[in-house]
Amino acid sequence: MSRLEAKPAEVRKVSLRREMQPIVQQRLMIVMLLLLFGVVAVTVRIGWLTVSSGGEAYAASGDTTLPPRADIVDRNGVTLARTIDAWSIAIHPDRAISAPEELAPRLQALMPERSVEDYLDILNSDRPFVYLRRRALPELVAQVNALGEPAMEYLREPERLYPQTNLAAHVLGWVNLDGEGVTGMEAVLEERLMDPEQRGEPVALSVDSRVQAAVQSELATAMRRFNAIGAAGIVLDVHTGELLALTSLPNFNPNAANRSSDHARFNQATMGFYELGSTFKPITMAAAIEEGVVTDISRRYNAEEPLEIGRFTISDDHPQRRYLNVPETLVHSSNIVTARIADQLGAERMQAVFRELHFDDPVEFELPVRGRPIWPEYWARTTIMTAGYGHGIAITPLHLANSYATLVNGGVYRPLTLMRLPSDAVPEGERVFSETTSDQMRGLLRLIVQEGTGRNADADGYRVGGKTGTAEKASEGGYRRNALISTFAAAFPMDDPQYVIVIMLNEPRGDAGTGGASTAGWTAAPVVSRVVSRIGPLLGVIPSETRDIDTANLRAMLWRAPSERS
Amino acid sequence: MNGARQDSLVPEQIAQLPWRLILLVLAISGFGLAILYSAAGGQLQPWAASQAVRFMVFFAMAIMLSRFREEHWKFFAYPVYALTLLALLGVEIIGQVGGGSQRWLNLGFMTIQPSEIMKPVLILALAKFYDTLPSGELRRLVAIWPALLLIGLPAALVVIQPDLGTTVVLVAAGVAIMFLAGLPLRLFIGGAVAMAALVPLAFMFLLEGYQRNRVLTFLNPENDPLGTGYHITQSKIAIGSGGLFGKGFLNGTQSHLSYLPEGHTDFVFATMAEEFGLLGGLLLILGFALLIRWGIRVGQNAQSTFSKLTAAGLSTTIFFYFAINLMMVMGLAPVVGIPLPLVSYGGSAMLTVLICIGILMSIDRENRMRR
Repeated sequence: MSRLEAKPAEVRKVSLRREMQPIVQQRLMIVMLLLLFGVVAVTVRIGWLTVSSGGEAYAASGDTTLPPRADIVDRNGVTLARTIDAWSIAIHPDRAISAPEELAPRLQALMPERSVEDYLDILNSDRPFVYLRRRALPELVAQVNALGEPAMEYLREPERLYPQTNLAAHVLGWVNLDGEGVTGMEAVLEERLMDPEQRGEPVALSVDSRVQAAVQSELATAMRRFNAIGAAGIVLDVHTGELLALTSLPNFNPNAANRSSDHARFNQATMGFYELGSTFKPITMAAAIEEGVVTDISRRYNAEEPLEIGRFTISDDHPQRRYLNVPETLVHSSNIVTARIADQLGAERMQAVFRELHFDDPVEFELPVRGRPIWPEYWARTTIMTAGYGHGIAITPLHLANSYATLVNGGVYRPLTLMRLPSDAVPEGERVFSETTSDQMRGLLRLIVQEGTGRNADADGYRVGGKTGTAEKASEGGYRRNALISTFAAAFPMDDPQYVIVIMLNEPRGDAGTGGASTAGWTAAPVVSRVVSRIGPLLGVIPSETRDIDTANLRAMLWRAPSERS
Repeated sequence: MNGARQDSLVPEQIAQLPWRLILLVLAISGFGLAILYSAAGGQLQPWAASQAVRFMVFFAMAIMLSRFREEHWKFFAYPVYALTLLALLGVEIIGQVGGGSQRWLNLGFMTIQPSEIMKPVLILALAKFYDTLPSGELRRLVAIWPALLLIGLPAALVVIQPDLGTTVVLVAAGVAIMFLAGLPLRLFIGGAVAMAALVPLAFMFLLEGYQRNRVLTFLNPENDPLGTGYHITQSKIAIGSGGLFGKGFLNGTQSHLSYLPEGHTDFVFATMAEEFGLLGGLLLILGFALLIRWGIRVGQNAQSTFSKLTAAGLSTTIFFYFAINLMMVMGLAPVVGIPLPLVSYGGSAMLTVLICIGILMSIDRENRMRR
C-alpha cells in the first residue's frame, strides 16, 4: 500500500491490474487464514463438547427402546410402575401474538385450573417460558394447539405411571415432576432404576400383586365395616423373608401423590408403633420353653385371682378363676399366667430373645420410612411381666410378622425384604428358637384357632394358626378404653407353615354382627380368615380336611366343663 | 485436457465439469439427506424426499450457472442487484400492509426469500464495483461510500424484517469483499473499534425483544434452561451425548424424542452429531473446509479482479453460513436462525449456496479454459 501511495497519478489507471493483484492475493491469504481459524475453532469446540459431557456414558445408552427409568414389576412380572411419554403445555408469553384478552378465556375454558385473570397475568408478563400444564393428555394438547397461538410449546416428557393405582402404594412410593423417586422403592432404587446399564431390565419386587390386592380389598372392607381409622396388612414368606403384601390403609394414588393427605401417606405397617398386646404371648411362651423355664407345658399356674405386684394389678379379660396350663393360657389369653411365666423368665433372658428378634431395632428392610421401636428404658419386675403380654413395649406390625415367621419356620430369624430373592440369595438367618420349640409353637398357635380366641380366623382346609391381640391405645395420661389396636398374627398351613399374615385394625368399632365387640377375635380374625381363603389358592397351598397338625395331645390338656366332655 | 477431449467417450461438456467438487457437494448433501431421514424417525417423509428433489433441481441449476462467462456476470451484476433490492423493498411493503413480518415473495410456482438471493447478488455487485474502480482511488472516499451503500441498503431492509442472521452474513461478506479489494487496513481496525463501541448501543436500541433475549441467553444458556436457552442447552447435550462415534444411525434420542427443537433445520448438526458422534462432526467440518478451500483456490487462480473478489466473496458467504450455524449449535454464538447449508431442511439456504457454487464453478471453468 505504501508503494501505491508513491505512484504518480497518470500511471495509476494504466497499471491497475498488475498493481492490484498482489494486494488481493495477499488479502486472500489473510481471509483464508481467518477462515481456517474459524474451522479450527469449531473443530476444537465439538471436541470439547464431546469430552466435557462424558459422551461415552451416553453413547452406551444409545438404544432408543431403553426407557428413561426402569419399570417396577411384582414377583410375577406384573407391571407396578412404568414410564411412558407424556406431554406438557407451555407458553412463551414474550412471543405471543394473540390478543391476551381473547386468548386468556379460551385457555381458561380448556384448562380451568387457572382463572382468566391468571392467564392474563401470564400472557401480559414478559417471562420467556411458563408451564401451563404438566402431564397433559394428547387430546388437550391437540385442543390447545388448535387455538393457533405460535408461542405455545408442547414438550414431550417422560411420565411415571402406576397402572394399578393404589395397589402397594406405600411400597412403591412416587416420583416428583422431574422423575426422581421421592419415597418408597422409587426412592430406594433410584440409582438402579436410572442406571443406563440396567434400566432396560425391570426391577422385580417381592410383592405379589394378587396377594396384595386381596389383602387391600379385605382390609378396606373391614375398615369400612368397623369404622376403623386405619389398618395394616402384611403377608410374609416365612422361609425367605420376602414380603408378598405390605399395605397400610387409607393409602393414596401414587399417580397423584400430591393430592393425598399426610394420614394416607403414613405407613402404619412400618412407621406405626403399637403395643400389640396378647400377640406377644406366644413369643413369651416360646422364649420360656426355649430357655427351659417351662419344661412341661401341662404344668399349671395359678390364675384364680388377679395378680397384684406393688401398685399394679394384672387381670384377665376372660377370667377362668382356676389353675391354667400353657395351652389353656394361650387359648384363654391369660395375662396372669403369662406374667407369672415372664417373671420366671426374667429380664435378661426375655431381653435376649427380644433382641434376637430385633425388637430393639428398626425393621431390617429396604424402605427408609421406619423408626426405632419403643423399648423400655428400665426393666422393673412389672415391666417384664407386662412386656410378656405385649404392654409397655411397642413395635411395628412388621416386627410382629417377622417374629411369627421366626416362631413357625423352625426358629430362624431372617431380615425382611421387598425385593424378589433368587432361591440362592435367601439369607441363612440366625437361629432364635430350636426346631422343637418351633414345632411346639405351631401346635399351640393352631390350637388357639381351633379352640380359643382365634376361632374366627380359621379358613376351611387352610389350617390357620395364630393369636389375637387387643391393646388399648396409649395416650397422654393412660390408656383409652375405647380406642383399640386389634391385631391378629397368623400363619398357615400350620402343618408346614409357608406364610405369615398380620392384620391390624386401628380403632375398630364393633357392630351388631360382633355383638358390639371391637376386640381382635371379632374384628381382625375374620379378615385373616377371608384373606387366607383368597390367597391360599393363589399361592398354591392345597386345602385339605385330612392334613393338619396333630393337636390331639394339646387338646387333651384343656379343661372342659363336665357337661362338654364326651 | 485437450487430449482427453478427443479420446474420451464422455461428451466434452460433461468431462469438463469439476467432478471432484461435484462429488464433494453430493457427499455433503447425501449425508444431510441421511440425517433428515433419521430425524423423521427413519422415514423419507416429510423431509428427506422433498429435500432430495429440491437439491437435484437446484444442483442442475448450479451446473447451468457454471456455463455462464465472466462477462455475463459482470453485465448482470448491477441490474440483478437493483431487482433484488426492489424485491426486498417489496416484501417489506407487503409485510407492512399485511401486518406482521414477511420475508417471502410468492411467485406462484415457488416462494423465494429475496434476502437469500441478495447474498450472492451483493457480492457480484461489490466485485463489479471494485473491478471498475481505478486502483488509485482505493484510498479515497469514493472507494468506500458506494460500497457501504451497496451493503447498507439491503442490510437495512433485512434487519427490519427482522432477520438478524441474514443481516450478519450480508454485512460480513460485504466487508470481506471490501477487505479483499485492498482498502487500507486502518479502516478495518478503526471499524472494529467503532463496532465494539456501537454493539452495546445497538443491542439496547436496535434489537427486538426476542433477539435481545437470544443474545442474553447465548451468554448464559443454562440460566434459563426451558426458555430461550433450551435450544442451546439441548443442542449441546445432543452433540456431547454422541461421544466419539455416536449412538448410531437412527438411534439419536434427543432428536427423536423431540427434546431437540428444530432438529431438522437450524439444529440439524446436533441431530447428526448425536448419531454419528465426533467422527461425523469432523467429517462434515472437513467437507465444508474442502469446499471453502476450493472456492478460495478458484479465487487465487482467477485472472481478473472481478473473478477474484467474486470467488473469495462467495466462499466467505458459504463459510459464514457454515461457521455461524455451527457456532450457534455449539453455543459459541447466539441463536440467529441460520441453517447449515446443503444439510438443513429448507430451500432458501440451499438455493443461495448452490447459486454461490454455480458461480464459483463458472469462474473455475474460465480459469481452466484460459490455462
